Amino acid sequence: MKIYINGDAVELADCSVPTSIQAALVKALPENQRQQSFALALNGDFVGKGDYANTVLKSDDSIDILLPIVGG
Amino acid sequence: MSLTIYGQQLSSRLLIGSALYPSPEVMKQAILASGSQVVTLSLKRQNPLEQSGEKIWRYIQDIVKINQGFLLPNTAGCKNAKEAITLAKMSRELFQTDWIKLEVIGDDYNLQPDPIELLIATEQLLADGFKVLPYCTDDLVICQRLYALGCQVIMPWASPIGTGKGLMNPYNLASIRSRLPDATLILDAGIGKPSDACIAMEMGFDGVLLNSAVALADNPVLMAKAFASAISAGESAYIAGTMPERQTAHPSTPTLDTPFWHQPEHS
Repeated sequence: MKIYINGDAVELADCSVPTSIQAALVKALPENQRQQSFALALNGDFVGKGDYANTVLKSDDSIDILLPIVGG
Repeated sequence: MSLTIYGQQLSSRLLIGSALYPSPEVMKQAILASGSQVVTLSLKRQNPLEQSGEKIWRYIQDIVKINQGFLLPNTAGCKNAKEAITLAKMSRELFQTDWIKLEVIGDDYNLQPDPIELLIATEQLLADGFKVLPYCTDDLVICQRLYALGCQVIMPWASPIGTGKGLMNPYNLASIRSRLPDATLILDAGIGKPSDACIAMEMGFDGVLLNSAVALADNPVLMAKAFASAISAGESAYIAGTMPERQTAHPSTPTLDTPFWHQPEHS
């Protein structure tokens, strides 16, 4: 199954179907990156950390991972 | 005197941004020198491999720990209500605050806020429990609508973001102050010099939010102190009450008993 993370296509070939956000993150990101401070949106809608495990992905879903940045 | 934002008392009337500084260390020193207890920051797509977000996040956490301050995440870059609402929710989870500096940009050229989308987003975020600090233009009616929706704090611009042009339309800003006497008004964006901030405070604004004017100064730490002094001076002047402007000259030195050669001739 192909999804997009921050606009880049990611193939989740070995993931079971259905696949959760949690499983996709484990597959797509090294552990040290998953432990960073970030927030996530799925197809433009916020998903809280508590819902990663029970939110099911479908093909071509788009995940945005946002990190803190300076701002005015 | 303290500034109150949604019930939270703050010792400084300056809110300051964390962007554009020459280095993270200069950012830290400038923010601490400013005395500000509110630091703005944001969220952005980044390559997690770079881990730059984590570094800057630790820096800002360190600053607010030292100055016993508060984070004010913004929704910079959002162009409609849906984007802004999503980003606000992400910020609330990550930064553990329900304060949100709500920005919805309507025009790329001057980064002018979109008043329609701003009102839509404000209404939904307030209903969702956020404490919204909306960034808007100096349009009186938009400010009135935002206040009517329940915003305790309203942040009209002085001029477009990053221009340093100062107060473009003092008449509009004075009208907003006059018509919304109970709202907390913070002048946001376009401030260039400490005198701009001082003028805003002399007009009765409750605070000033700025970033570029400090970050882009030759000496950001010294400029941060200059802004703190200017805001304090402007606040004192407002409380003291400025004299009325007059159209004609009035001598300040008493004319009674002036020397005889200046007395009118008597026949």
